[in-house]
Amino acid sequence: MPDNKIVLGGDVQETVTALKEVDILIGVPSYNNSKTIVHVVKAVEAGLSKYFSTFRSLFVNSDGGSTDGTRDIVKATQVDLDSILIDQPAGGFHKLVTPYHGIPGKGSAFRTVFEIARRLNVRACAVVDSDLRSITPEWIELLVKPVLEEGFDYVSPYYLRHKYDGTITNTIVYPLTRALYGQRIRQPIGGDFGFSGRLASFYLGKDVWETDVARFGIDIWMTTTAVANGFKICQAFLGAKIHDPKDPASDLSAMLHQVVSSVFNLMEEYQPVWQKVAGSEPVTTFGFVYSVGLEPIRVNLDKMIEKFRLGARELNDFYRSFLPQEQLAFLKSLADAPGVSFRFPDSEWVRIIYHFAVAFHRKIMSPEHLIKSLTPLYIGKVASFVIETWESTAEEVEKRLEDLCLVYENDKSYLIKKWGEKA
Amino acid sequence: MGGEGLNAGLIEEVIMKNFIDRMIGQPLQDFYLKFREFLPSLFSALVIFIIGLLLAWAVKAVIVRVFKLLKLDKLFSRLGITESLQKIAVKDTPTNFIGRIFFWLIVIIFFIIALNALKLPAVDQLLERFLLYLPNVFIAAFLLIVGVLIGNFLGRAALVASVNAGIKQSGLLSRAVKTTVMLFAFVMAMEQLGIGRQAVLAAFTIVFGGLVLALALAFGLGGKDIAKSLLEEKFKKDETDRTKDGIHHL
Repeated sequence: MPDNKIVLGGDVQETVTALKEVDILIGVPSYNNSKTIVHVVKAVEAGLSKYFSTFRSLFVNSDGGSTDGTRDIVKATQVDLDSILIDQPAGGFHKLVTPYHGIPGKGSAFRTVFEIARRLNVRACAVVDSDLRSITPEWIELLVKPVLEEGFDYVSPYYLRHKYDGTITNTIVYPLTRALYGQRIRQPIGGDFGFSGRLASFYLGKDVWETDVARFGIDIWMTTTAVANGFKICQAFLGAKIHDPKDPASDLSAMLHQVVSSVFNLMEEYQPVWQKVAGSEPVTTFGFVYSVGLEPIRVNLDKMIEKFRLGARELNDFYRSFLPQEQLAFLKSLADAPGVSFRFPDSEWVRIIYHFAVAFHRKIMSPEHLIKSLTPLYIGKVASFVIETWESTAEEVEKRLEDLCLVYENDKSYLIKKWGEKA
Repeated sequence: MGGEGLNAGLIEEVIMKNFIDRMIGQPLQDFYLKFREFLPSLFSALVIFIIGLLLAWAVKAVIVRVFKLLKLDKLFSRLGITESLQKIAVKDTPTNFIGRIFFWLIVIIFFIIALNALKLPAVDQLLERFLLYLPNVFIAAFLLIVGVLIGNFLGRAALVASVNAGIKQSGLLSRAVKTTVMLFAFVMAMEQLGIGRQAVLAAFTIVFGGLVLALALAFGLGGKDIAKSLLEEKFKKDETDRTKDGIHHL
């Protein structure tokens, strides 16, 4: 095992030495989140005081060098517990604000959290995003209790989302992760997780902290590492997730590249694990699951279909180097089809994703070029999904996604066969 | 009378013999002596050439085997070299192609060394000039290979990026990027080889300058409406917001 111990700052070291042991640790990574982090800090402190009042708890803000005063705001934020609680907490709540070291990114921020958790022999941890608007004290209960009281090692979030939110998760990450590792974790890249101290130490021992995991792939890496290594998994229904809008300039192909390359890289590492898995099973879900009516949203279908057509035509030669003739012929026919009959069948979509995974595995070209070339096809699949489910309720959409997942699972033998074939 | 006739016949015979010796025998003897002197050099040259052939064959076999063990064909394919070779009608895999290049390079070098072993002054001069020129050939080949690699990579990057940006002429843009990079590499290689230095440079300047001018005119005249709508989209945020999708991908 590599030596992955990291050096903590002097004051952090002092606090850790003084605390000796802590039961619960909540980590919040941040970078210039002064506008939203107050609410997050208050929700975490209220959650710990309300639901874990007898436990010793620590709040860690792992900051990436904010210049907008985020760290000062975290230090100064206090909750008026009298308005929330009848009895004052007895366990003790501590706050630690520290810059993280290493490659800039959420993964490096988490690494510092894991290291503090390891040194304090923490029993249960949770990490939540610093731009959350909808976090409530109950989130802390839902993320921590399954670890403390039910013996789970990993708690994945399960949010209430609009049927057209999280389309990368719905069409690629969820069904592919489920087919590969056999666990139905609905939002494997949710961003807010609970985990045991044992799992935090396991994460820390992995030699990934100088890779893309430290930059952008930490969410799917945490979920997959927990599942593939046999840790006890569950999910917690947290309600709606509302957070600050992401940078509007961030482009879809970059997003797709970050997420899909993380999943594909993990396929390399856990090849012996996923090749033995067949089918999938549900995971225990905590929390009161409910759904609400769907607000209508704007979708420019013509523009989406046009983007698909452009990609299918212009990238035809590019795809030829790794897609078989059947998929190329399908893409051509779909690109020529009129908008009213535009349908991207699940079977074709799954085959295409599997061929992208195999091409990534065979390293036939730059991984970035390969995955970014998936963008127009993904837009085509989403356009088709929107056409098919425009009138559907949230439950009906979930049923439709279940069908897609089953296609991924049933066609997995094809992936295994192609994966093993020589180029 | 009979004795006189006999003497005259003998004299004639001797003269004829001397004549034949001088005209045919001597040159043949000279040739034989020179050939005997040259024979070891010829033999050395033949031996050197045969050794060269054997060495070239062995080097080719080693290169092909090592490249195959290192699975470099995969890497070449990933870098777009296989595709580029196929476009210039090379049916071999890059590994075999490189093996063949080394084979012929060694054969040529040993052929020149063999010629040198013949100790012919004209060949000596040729050899000297060839050896002095050889580094230029290597540098030019290196420039061309790097040009093809970078051209392919940037061409692919431009293609994928422009398709994702919704640019209709993505293929054309990609080919333009690829060709420009390769053209640069070609001009640099020719410059290195000293072939038509001025002419190539002038041709390149004219072609490249013309291309830029054509693009400027095309964008200026043909694309003014697109530019207008792009600027409008950029600055009329409210308008953009109204046409923006409500789909959240992550």
